[in-house]
Amino acid sequence: MGAEPTVSLEVQIVLRLADYTLEVAFQAGDAPLSILGPSAAGKTMTLRTIAGLERPSRGRIVLNDRVLFDSDRRIDVPARHRRVAMLFQHYALFPHMTVAANIVFGLQDLAAAERTMRLDRIVAQTHLDGLQNRYPRELSGGEQQRVALARALVTEPEALLLDEPLSALDTHLRAQIEYELLQTFQVYRGATLLVTHNVAEAYRLGKNLLVLSKGRVVAFGPKSEVFTRPASLEVARLTGCKNFSRARAIGPHEIEALDWGCRLHTVQELPAATAAGELRAGIRAHHISLVEPEAVGAVSGLPENTFPAWVVRTSEAPFGVTVYLRLRAASEGFQEYDLQAEVSQNDWRRIQDRPQPWQVRLPAESVFVMGK
Amino acid sequence: MKKFSVLLGVVAAVMLLSYPAVISGLARDSGPASVSEITVSAAISLKDALDDIGKKYEGSHAGVKVVSNYGGSGTLRNQIEQGAPVDVFFSASQKDMDALNAKGLIEPKTRRDIVANTLVLIVPSDRDSGIHDFADLAGAQVKTIAVGDAATVPAGMYAEQVFSALGLTAAVHGKLVLAKDVRQALTFVATGNADAGVVYSTDARSTSKVRVVATAPANSHDPIVYPAAVLKSAHNAAAGGTLVEYFAADDAKAVFQKYGFAIPPR
Amino acid sequence: MDFISQDLSPLWISLATSVAATTITMIAGMGAAAWRQRRTGPLSPIIDAIFLLPLVLPPTLVGFGLLVLFGRNGPLGKFLLGFGATVVFSWPATVIAAAVVSFPLMYLTSRAALDQVDPHFLQAARTLGATEWRIFRRVALPLAWPGVLAGTILSFARAMGEFGATLMLAGNIPGRTETIPIAIYFAVEAGDMRAAVRWSAIELGISFVLLAALYYWTHAASGGRARWARSRP
Repeated sequence: MGAEPTVSLEVQIVLRLADYTLEVAFQAGDAPLSILGPSAAGKTMTLRTIAGLERPSRGRIVLNDRVLFDSDRRIDVPARHRRVAMLFQHYALFPHMTVAANIVFGLQDLAAAERTMRLDRIVAQTHLDGLQNRYPRELSGGEQQRVALARALVTEPEALLLDEPLSALDTHLRAQIEYELLQTFQVYRGATLLVTHNVAEAYRLGKNLLVLSKGRVVAFGPKSEVFTRPASLEVARLTGCKNFSRARAIGPHEIEALDWGCRLHTVQELPAATAAGELRAGIRAHHISLVEPEAVGAVSGLPENTFPAWVVRTSEAPFGVTVYLRLRAASEGFQEYDLQAEVSQNDWRRIQDRPQPWQVRLPAESVFVMGK
Repeated sequence: MKKFSVLLGVVAAVMLLSYPAVISGLARDSGPASVSEITVSAAISLKDALDDIGKKYEGSHAGVKVVSNYGGSGTLRNQIEQGAPVDVFFSASQKDMDALNAKGLIEPKTRRDIVANTLVLIVPSDRDSGIHDFADLAGAQVKTIAVGDAATVPAGMYAEQVFSALGLTAAVHGKLVLAKDVRQALTFVATGNADAGVVYSTDARSTSKVRVVATAPANSHDPIVYPAAVLKSAHNAAAGGTLVEYFAADDAKAVFQKYGFAIPPR
Repeated sequence: MDFISQDLSPLWISLATSVAATTITMIAGMGAAAWRQRRTGPLSPIIDAIFLLPLVLPPTLVGFGLLVLFGRNGPLGKFLLGFGATVVFSWPATVIAAAVVSFPLMYLTSRAALDQVDPHFLQAARTLGATEWRIFRRVALPLAWPGVLAGTILSFARAMGEFGATLMLAGNIPGRTETIPIAIYFAVEAGDMRAAVRWSAIELGISFVLLAALYYWTHAASGGRARWARSRP
């Protein structure tokens, strides 16, 4: 193909709901956008307004220079003309139709020959060969998802919306389907939006990230930026950060973490403090490292941001250990911990029998400081 | 719960208040009242005349009330056979009276032929229907002909006989709208829902909404004679007998003739 | 016995009337159910009440209402008269009366059947470019079919049993509008018990077979539907 037109989806909507008002504004190109947020934050609603299944109270939705919705000009294109395909959380495969019939459902306006050609092509692409005459109830979860995806993609939509694409799958299938989805995203040339409440999924599947909380956008941008420089405490928490402390600026790159009882160097600039002069510091659990005593060289001394820590308790997960630490002296109560660190099993085995206190390091480049 | 108990209270109050009315109503219907009542089951074509005569009778016989029950004679006969508490039966056909006699349900000595009638073909008066005779009933423009159900209505039976005598039976099949009595047949025509109807001349006179276009030849059907008799099971046999005699007497005759009935020769 | 030589026209009339009436109620009932599903508003309870009225009103009231509507002086009667057609005392009147009284049954069961179709199927179909009519025909109706069929069988049975309104609007015209229920009534009136028993037995037999088929079908269909439901993750 020659120069392809750029893909653009512009969304700016307000939707008044029973429990809250959804107010969302963003733009998406052909890089997949993950929409992350807790349940009932408005993620699925946003998708539904783009697909034309819900009508916003006001706003504008423009896809590739086609106005799909504009409350000022009273434009509301019906769903069937929007060329927006949606993958529902439970696939919504028509139970009374075969796989083939499901897939070609959206191709009624095409000639039979073209329909068959597209069907064969998508069946090959989604590895569904041999299943064309089966019924959805005869398929596994992964196969059903592929059929739903095929059904959506075969209509060559301009936008693809996925509602919690992995949540209905058994855990052991998720990695496989995730891989297939990534392959699909690479080939598909259209706006891709996916909604999920799973932080890791949002990170792996999308290139950009939009974080929604109670109907409002609290973060929007490339995923690395949102993760390493969360704009607020809420965004940090929604993106999975577990360690927070009130903080006070001491120097341009130095803060005192009040809840942790230590002073930290930071790499990023300190943001403006709140009116009360308060900052918030945060660090992700897997960025905290337990320092080998051997690494403590006689000359350089301890690396910066390294402190003695005592273990309060641990929690073993299948592939790692969560260690709950205190930076202050011997614990007064079982629950009182300052930091939560994720340590690999190997590291844990090496260190678990050492005498306490251990040395823990909070790398300066992993500490983020928020103004609110 | 409060709403429920209020509702319950209202229902109870209504039931309590209506109790006396219901009881007295029931009492009124059971058994003979203090006033002497004569119950007459009569062919409905007699209605207008008999209402008048009944009032006259009550006027000249103190303490007597004439209660009339009208319908198709066959239906009335069925009711009597099923045990309806009737004193006098006044039928539009000998056939029904004969049937009761055969079952031993009437007092044969009280039986009298009271009046006679003629059968006519009627059409709705607001239409120029092009129907001038019975033969026209075979025509395509006649879609519906109102007649009594021959099984229970004498007028329907006579109509059937007329059709047979005139060779029209096949032609009218599928056009006959069966009525439960001759007055209902009359109404079908009067409302214009039926294109034509066969009723008694006395019925046709009772409304301006129908027009007589032909009279059935006298020899095309059994003589239309109305007998009356007292039933063996009558509560009030004596008063019933007196009433039947009254029907045959001059005062009543004048009323019958006023309504168009003929008096059969003795 | 000399059953065959008897006049069997009430049987054919009843069957023809019920088939015609059920065809009408299928279209009208499903149409009304589909329409009401998509448009709900403050008037909804009132519209539903009107649709269900023939179910609870006495047949004599329904018959009276139809007479007023289709009689010579009624709005529809006058309109049809312009085409030279009269409804009162005609076979179409039996169809009209039967259709009116069986409509609520069809409407109720169709509504219930359509309502239990998962809306996600309809939404998916919408995003795939189907018109509302196509969605109804290819998605909603096939998935609601067991319930709709049950409604059809019920409607047919009700149409077979319609009496009061039919007698008032169509009258008793042997060979044209005398349905089985009317034949039974007039047979009893005339004291013809043999005819009454004969027609009652036929009516009972047909109604019983219909209801048995209904239960057999819905039992089998709900087993099938359970299989569909289990297929969803």
